[in-house]
Amino acid sequence: MSTTSTLPGTRPGTAPPIVTGRRKAGGGLHSPRVLLLTIPSLVWFAVFTVGPLIAMFVIATLRWKGLLYEPTYVGTENVSHVFADPVFFDALRNSLVQVAIVIPIMIPLAFMLGYHLHTKPRGYRVLSVLYFSPGLISISITAMIFYGVLSPDGGVNGALRQIGLDSLATPWLADPSTALASLIAIDLWRGVGWTAVLFAARLASLPSDVVEAARMDGAGRFRIMWQIAFPMIKDYVRTLTMLQYLWTLFTSAALILLLTKGGPGTSSTTLSYLVYAKAFTQRDLGYSQVVGVVLLVLGIAGMLLIRALLRSSLENKR
Amino acid sequence: MTRSRRSGTPVATVLSWLYALLLAAPLYYLAVSALKTNVEIFTRPFALPAHWLWGNFETAWRTADLGGALFNSVLISVVAIVLTLCLAVPAAYALARQDNRVARVVTGVFSAGFLIPPFAALIPTVILAIKMDLFYTREFQMLFLPASALPLSVLLLTQFMRTVPPALVESAALDGAGHWRLLFNVFIPIAMPGVVSVTILQLLTFWNEYLFALAITGTGPDVRTVQVALPTLVSDATNFGVLTAGTVLTLLPVYIAYSLASRRMQEALTAGAVKG
Repeated sequence: MSTTSTLPGTRPGTAPPIVTGRRKAGGGLHSPRVLLLTIPSLVWFAVFTVGPLIAMFVIATLRWKGLLYEPTYVGTENVSHVFADPVFFDALRNSLVQVAIVIPIMIPLAFMLGYHLHTKPRGYRVLSVLYFSPGLISISITAMIFYGVLSPDGGVNGALRQIGLDSLATPWLADPSTALASLIAIDLWRGVGWTAVLFAARLASLPSDVVEAARMDGAGRFRIMWQIAFPMIKDYVRTLTMLQYLWTLFTSAALILLLTKGGPGTSSTTLSYLVYAKAFTQRDLGYSQVVGVVLLVLGIAGMLLIRALLRSSLENKR
Repeated sequence: MTRSRRSGTPVATVLSWLYALLLAAPLYYLAVSALKTNVEIFTRPFALPAHWLWGNFETAWRTADLGGALFNSVLISVVAIVLTLCLAVPAAYALARQDNRVARVVTGVFSAGFLIPPFAALIPTVILAIKMDLFYTREFQMLFLPASALPLSVLLLTQFMRTVPPALVESAALDGAGHWRLLFNVFIPIAMPGVVSVTILQLLTFWNEYLFALAITGTGPDVRTVQVALPTLVSDATNFGVLTAGTVLTLLPVYIAYSLASRRMQEALTAGAVKG
């Protein structure tokens, strides 16, 4: 990002004495005091975003049994509770499984589909409208769609019966062996196409002559995609990978709340859902917020890891 | 050249349409189920309805009180977007005009804020609502949503406002224009595509918000949003026809908006994610 040309003092020839009283009172059109205009938004951000984020660390040290009770300070007691609770480790495992499956499938697949869209294949308008549409659909609508699709008498089982695979039919969301997998499939259903559209938009902003030159040299399509187009948008791939990672890790609570309530047992409980459930259904705010802090730490650690991974491979190639 | 670009490899073509089919199938299932009875949904899941049961829509509308819920959603989204713009536009103007250390710190704060999903602080936010005496009200949502939208809005608007040519600023300054005149007569008109993008993007985000709406505004029939009202159609004996009809009704406003301004919406949503 280059500097703007409106830096203070970039107006040569404006001798200080000429500045009129009126301008002085207004702070001058080039005075840094214009930054006062950012204060309302910063206050808003501090009150509604930074404040609650800090409060999370405080609440993690409190015994607080439900929102309407008075909390008492218990130090690290909640932390030892959480780390002695098998449910927490189930949730941790499920969250790790979730991101470890979703991200490595979603990002490469979305990149390839995005590259394909970018080459404007036949029918690409239909494709891009379809790929784009999950981006318009809210979590609660997604959940309601799949509540129907995955119910025991729903679309998936109906389709399986029609092609004679009755034995595979199962209550997808109520079966401990398929509940988490179903949620992961919904993540992919939502995310892949939408991310592909984003990649296509980014690829469209690249100069086309590099790709053309490679084609002239006889480079194959697969090679152009991975060895020319991919490195050119690597920064963007990294950003989207980080965002998808954070969304997957943090926002699974809503879908789980609507579809499986973390069950059966703890088979589909993720850390994100545990934060929600402990606070609102099991009334243990301290526990909930310790998990919230764990989630935040995992989020930051994962981001740093993705940053490092996608940076080093770029350097290796050069 | 164009030919080779258009043909693509068979594998890519097959894969891309296979995925498109996977996306379309649940949407098709949704649309046909909305016109059927439970029995027909279970026995002939993908067939067109034998009798088109338009009554499902009426039942869904009445049972979940979707009319009131739609009104609440519109009210919250509109107030929140106005507030978002009132906060973000002046801030973006300031950040576009100044590039000193303070400005870079403010930009850094918003960049970090953009990465953190709002869900991280859900429970403390609920407590904040209680402390402000705004728990189970629409008002808290109107105040809170702009805060969650600020990082991205400010960053995007700043980028658009940086495109204002310095010469225009100079000539406005010579005319004796103050900050507000400069903002309204020069910066906002030039950054209008950015303002439109931010408006579309954040309106959609506000409209689709679910978990905060559920936890803070709650399920009270007089305050709940349409996203919260829809899942109330699920019960131990869910009428799937009615549920899917309600889902279609909830989805309709967004798809109508998309069909009217698909290009604009696609631009706005991709712009939102392009900004890292």
